[in-house]
Amino acid sequence: MTMHFYAFGSICRGEVDRSSDVDLLACITGPNPDIDTDKFSVYQHDRLHCLWAEGNPFAWHLHLESRLLFSSDGVDFLASLGVPAAYKAGAEDCEKFALLFSESLDQLSKTRVNATFNLSCMFLGIRNVATCYSLWRGHPVFSRKSPLLIDSPLNVDEGTYRVLTRARVLSTRGIGDALSDEEVKLALGAAPAIQVWMTQLLSEVRK
Amino acid sequence: MTEFNNRIAAQREILLAVNSAHWREELYGMSSGALDRWVRANSLDQSSKLVSLLLTAAGKLFFLANKSQEQVTAEYRLCSSEVSRLAEEIRLEIRLSN
Repeated sequence: MTMHFYAFGSICRGEVDRSSDVDLLACITGPNPDIDTDKFSVYQHDRLHCLWAEGNPFAWHLHLESRLLFSSDGVDFLASLGVPAAYKAGAEDCEKFALLFSESLDQLSKTRVNATFNLSCMFLGIRNVATCYSLWRGHPVFSRKSPLLIDSPLNVDEGTYRVLTRARVLSTRGIGDALSDEEVKLALGAAPAIQVWMTQLLSEVRK
Repeated sequence: MTEFNNRIAAQREILLAVNSAHWREELYGMSSGALDRWVRANSLDQSSKLVSLLLTAAGKLFFLANKSQEQVTAEYRLCSSEVSRLAEEIRLEIRLSN
């Protein structure tokens, strides 16, 4: 069976901290139960062809930030796909992630039950709006800190952003110190400014 | 609402059912890392019905996340309805054990 393994993401940017993991991609054809889906993002070769053809942000991410680790046939499969198609779903994607942010904020405003999960979703909304916006602008930033690094950066203090990032790591990997009530309040207090920033980006991509 | 937002809403629904009960530490997500942490933090039996239901639901959500482009298939629809059924079972199990 043809298999290609890649590292991608933060490790390829040299962006590491103590909560960083190493993102691994396995490209396969047909089923392969030996590949641990907790360790690898597993994609069929055909599916990657489709992502490239639609100009999907993940295709751009892999195109710009991946390194071949192993190839069973000596071919760099992702490189062979060439440059992904132009990214056209900027407005649609930004709206999807802005909705995730606002729904999660709405839940967090009503109850502290699921506070960490809702903050994690708010982080995902913020980060993905920024990344999709940056890709739409033609200056893609895939970093976990993309909201702070894009052309129209989010203006929040480092402590608040760290709380949101910790919520994401707790939710997706179960790692880190639990958030205190004060930290939840800190993040919640930044929400109005985040909404203004997001509205501004959305109005640009909708033009 | 998009399929992506629906999938997050399904996760939130399950987490709300779990976290509405009192625990030493909340369940922070449906990832295997978050589930492992929650089981350890609350000294739960890995083989209990509740943990088993949550692991099954996590597996279905993972399937949905990886099949989001194939959402029209019968297999996808079946999996979506299974997540709803599991959420109901989890709610019932929480009520019975608290």
